[in-house]
Amino acid sequence: MTCQTEKSPADETFVVQMKGITKIYPNGVAANLEVDFNLRRGEIHALMGENGAGKSTLMKILFGMEQPTGGEIIFNGEKLEITSPTVAINHGIGMVHQHFMLVPSLSVAENIVLGMVPRKSGMFIDRAKAIEITREYAERFNLRVEPESRVMDIPVGMKQKVEILKALVRGAKILIMDEPTAVLTSQETADLFVELRHLKEQGYTIVFISHKLNEIMEITDRLTITRNGRSMGVYNTRDVTKEDISRLMVGRDVVLTVQKEKAVPGNVVLRVRDLKYMNDWGRKMLDGISFDVRRGEILGIAGVEGNGQKELVDMLFNFNVPNTGSVTVNGAGILGMPQQKIRELGVSLVPEDRMLFGIAASASIEENVISDRIGAKRLNNGPLFNMKAIREESDRLIREYAVLCKSRRQHVGMLSGGNIQKVVVAREFSNDPVLILADQPTRGIDVGATEFIHRKLIELSRSGVAVLLVSADLNEVMELSDSLIVMYNGQIAAYFDDTADLTDEIMGSYMLGLKHQTEKEVRRACHE
Amino acid sequence: MNRKRKLLFTIVRSLVAILIALLVATVLIFISTPGATFRIRIDATFEALREMLAGPVFRFSKKNGMVFEGKRLADIFAAMIPTIFTGLSVCVMFSANQFNLGAEGGIMLGAFVSAMAAIYLPLLAGLHAVVAVLLGGVATALVMLLPALLKAKLDVSEMVCSLMLNYIIMYIIKFLMNFYLADKSRGTIQSFPFRESSAIAPIVNNPVFSGAKLTWGFIIALVAVLVCGLFMYRSRWGYTIRMIGINKDFAKYSGMKVGMIIVLAQLIGGFLAGTGGGIEMLGRYNAFAWNALPGYGWAGITIAILAGNNPYMVPLAAFFMAYLSKGCDLMATYAKVPSQLISIIQVVIFLLFSAEQFLSAYRQKLVVETAQEELALAQAQKEGV
Amino acid sequence: MHNFLKLLLTPEFFFSILRISAPIIFATLAAVVVEKAGFANIGLEGLMMFSALSGSLASYYSHSWFWGLLAALATGIIMSLVMGFFAFQLKTDIILVGIAINMMGSGGTLFLCKVITNLTEGKAMASTTGLITRSLCIPDIKIPILNSIPFLGSVLSGHNLLTYLAFILVALTSLILYKTPLGLNIRSVGENADAASSVGVSVLRVKYIAMAFSGLMSGFGGAFMSMAYAQGWSQDMVSGRGFIALAAQAMGGGECLGGMLSAIMFGFAQALGIKFSAIGMDSNLASPIPYAVTIIGLVVFALIRISRAKKRRSAALVKEEGRLLGQGQA
Repeated sequence: MTCQTEKSPADETFVVQMKGITKIYPNGVAANLEVDFNLRRGEIHALMGENGAGKSTLMKILFGMEQPTGGEIIFNGEKLEITSPTVAINHGIGMVHQHFMLVPSLSVAENIVLGMVPRKSGMFIDRAKAIEITREYAERFNLRVEPESRVMDIPVGMKQKVEILKALVRGAKILIMDEPTAVLTSQETADLFVELRHLKEQGYTIVFISHKLNEIMEITDRLTITRNGRSMGVYNTRDVTKEDISRLMVGRDVVLTVQKEKAVPGNVVLRVRDLKYMNDWGRKMLDGISFDVRRGEILGIAGVEGNGQKELVDMLFNFNVPNTGSVTVNGAGILGMPQQKIRELGVSLVPEDRMLFGIAASASIEENVISDRIGAKRLNNGPLFNMKAIREESDRLIREYAVLCKSRRQHVGMLSGGNIQKVVVAREFSNDPVLILADQPTRGIDVGATEFIHRKLIELSRSGVAVLLVSADLNEVMELSDSLIVMYNGQIAAYFDDTADLTDEIMGSYMLGLKHQTEKEVRRACHE
Repeated sequence: MNRKRKLLFTIVRSLVAILIALLVATVLIFISTPGATFRIRIDATFEALREMLAGPVFRFSKKNGMVFEGKRLADIFAAMIPTIFTGLSVCVMFSANQFNLGAEGGIMLGAFVSAMAAIYLPLLAGLHAVVAVLLGGVATALVMLLPALLKAKLDVSEMVCSLMLNYIIMYIIKFLMNFYLADKSRGTIQSFPFRESSAIAPIVNNPVFSGAKLTWGFIIALVAVLVCGLFMYRSRWGYTIRMIGINKDFAKYSGMKVGMIIVLAQLIGGFLAGTGGGIEMLGRYNAFAWNALPGYGWAGITIAILAGNNPYMVPLAAFFMAYLSKGCDLMATYAKVPSQLISIIQVVIFLLFSAEQFLSAYRQKLVVETAQEELALAQAQKEGV
Repeated sequence: MHNFLKLLLTPEFFFSILRISAPIIFATLAAVVVEKAGFANIGLEGLMMFSALSGSLASYYSHSWFWGLLAALATGIIMSLVMGFFAFQLKTDIILVGIAINMMGSGGTLFLCKVITNLTEGKAMASTTGLITRSLCIPDIKIPILNSIPFLGSVLSGHNLLTYLAFILVALTSLILYKTPLGLNIRSVGENADAASSVGVSVLRVKYIAMAFSGLMSGFGGAFMSMAYAQGWSQDMVSGRGFIALAAQAMGGGECLGGMLSAIMFGFAQALGIKFSAIGMDSNLASPIPYAVTIIGLVVFALIRISRAKKRRSAALVKEEGRLLGQGQA
């Protein structure tokens, strides 16, 4: 394995050079720090990294959707300011978004020519011409689509081809593909690879964002790995092994150590058995998930995002129902149960999307911290609220959870991300929960708030609460968890009953699907 | 933004909106006043404006100048009674993000049902009015169940449904009046007179306000404001209504019964509108003679918007609208400007109040100032530590 | 009953259905197009009232129905653009903008009518019915050959110019939506604005165009009310047709043809009501029929929509299972 050093910046083989790109968002998150990224004409180049490693931001900058805070982009040897996607398109850069930018009720051909519609007799859409254009490009690039079908009626794989064609028709020579295989079945993925090779042969350059090692090894020529906003180097794909990549990609720059006593697990609180769920596009998102969470322990769920964690949490709080399986909390089945009843059983959820579910932004802090307990006797005086009790409770929570604010009457939406999350956590942790579901509890918030939430989680678990921690943050999930599950492809790839001896390397190999424990080993997650 | 700045912004914004509306009004008055020369028309315009702005509480005459007019003030208070109720009704429904526009038909239905109870139910004085008004409220609440349930169960637009209901209510009442309930001995279509036991007693009758009449209905309306305010801000149902209006997903996730509360909000809205209709009918009239929708429902929408869906602000907004309306009436009488000018002023204010971006640059300036102060404060704290 | 049926099966009855449907069709087309662009214009009622007033006044002053019609259209377009300004630029909730226009449509029109007539006629009038003569109305058209066919001729011929136009516009609007680049842009903005703007379609511009179109249609609808349906403008003469159109749009599945059929259904309900009152039923009992039909229609439509969604989901599941089965065997 040798890291390439690219000496001559004027090298003609480079179509794009991104030099020292830094991107700091207004909320202070540094997505990219001095990242270099170079593309050779006619290569398939993998951009790899965990969630939040900065790869999407880097590509958004290249496509003009974001403006860099520092650094420059050299396009065909000349400096170029890419101020909008239109500039990018005009220079032959196209992007295939992970969430397709398609209009479902329009035909494939109409989607492809949208914004540059061929006309006949000056007024009308020249449908025949649109179909002809579509056919011509489809044939030339061997991307088989049905020009006259409506987009809503075609399979996901074909939608993706439509997106690729959209870029090609607009003259793209460089294609950025954002996790193109995330939504595809294995057959569709195989087809896509044939098409990508075909494009490459015709001189097109492709950026392939992914974290699937097998695919990377199969299709790409070179790869750039990012981690925590920095580049971990550029490599020829044939020179590296999967293990090398895993080590470079998954790992912590700074290992935070969290002080915690050893857990003494009690009875099983949450029992999940054999959950299976297939989403609307026919992808198996959960494929036989079984595990238990016991009193007094923190069970972590690690994994690259999109491997079924979100779906799992949705099932546990009735935002969705699985096809088969059972979930019980202290013996009571909760699948399909209204959220109010689930909460009455003592289940709390720190939701992944805090702005959507966690808070009412234009309501006060006070109103936000009591939303789950408005029926409680202590907060009511007959038909009216006991304002004094509510005031005391919210003041106490604001103090205990160190929410930085002027008063409890301040609107939650005005607080910083970390303080908003503290409001959510203050509510979810304080209503005597027996089970806490913490889904990405510290994503995108500052170090102080993160540390605080970690301390609280440990404190609660040691006092006998069962905690299920779902996190894509390796530091968090490895340091906090007493035992740990790695999810891959909707399955439990590994279960560790002790996290003390775990290394980043072991984690990486399970998270990226290089290894998979036996069924018997995985079954240990059920404590029967 | 801190509270003081927010208040400042609200006040400035309200004043600017009202000022713009008055400016529009002035232009329209100028256009509509007759007069041979520019000079005469300017004078006429100012006279009309004076009637509109000061007329509601002062009387002008060459001899005495400006004299306080108690009766007119009492009239304004009386005019507030129905619109306070419809304003509250709209507040509750809009707070839950339910654009139910049925307050218009609701107040007519409430008035009608109360009137019938006042005619045909033999009850003791005092109790009679209470029962009649409550019946009006309950009947309207039950009718509002239709759009509410259709919205909650079938996702049918509560707005279209309630608008249609307004027409249906009006026609059916007219039908019943024509065929069964009219007092045929009268020249116009009107009901038999109410039993005297059903009258809502006046609180002021004469002395202070020469000839003024204001019933207990006004006090009841103010009590309704208090109860509504308590309900919205101090009870768990009102709280739930507001949270659903702000973020429905949050409400559901927090374990609130979203569907039930959506229905409840419209039931309450219906009850308030109906009650308002009953009180207005029994307080002001001796027989039911409405033959068209009274317009109080639409006024209620403007009032709710001006009040920012806050029940406690409803009386203020209702006073403002009643004052303007009275002013426009007087202007029509004395200055020959059609009184419907009110509906244009009303809409201009309505639109400016509900425009999020109106004076957004000014708000941005205040936000930036606040942020800078906060930063300075944080810095000072840090250094202090 | 038999006699009543006989009364219904007359050419006049069918003629009246078409006549009554025309303004609702205009408004429904307005609702269809803005809905395709992704928002709702509930101010159609108010727009129609203003157009009705300005149309009748302009035709009186210019002594020509043509200029009156143009004024009505211009009024609709200008006011709808102002609505768009408030909704898109000042970020007022578009529903509130609609409510505001409707509120103004009732009292504001009367104000303008009084002021303008006062200035020009010397006395304030509360309606323009006294000003508009038959010759200032938009003319009826007898279609030569059709005219002589028995029954059908008297149903289809002799309608107002705008009635024919309403039906022609159904086809035209459909054509615009489905056959022109503009229509493509409107539909893409309504369905996925990000997708549209990502290929350089100006979302704001498309929304304004849709808004102006709804104003234009309201202009036709308003002109029809005051210069064809009735002779002259009077307060609240639109009486809910703008609202009924919103329901017709929903029941018609958001399409021009479906919207037209729903509008005709309301026309039928109203024509029936008029017939009922003709045979002695109180008009106040007959008048609410179209409004009640609207609510019933919305409920039926909602039920159909829900059962369709269920069917689609189960069909998708069956298809998926079949696919998996196929894979399993392969």
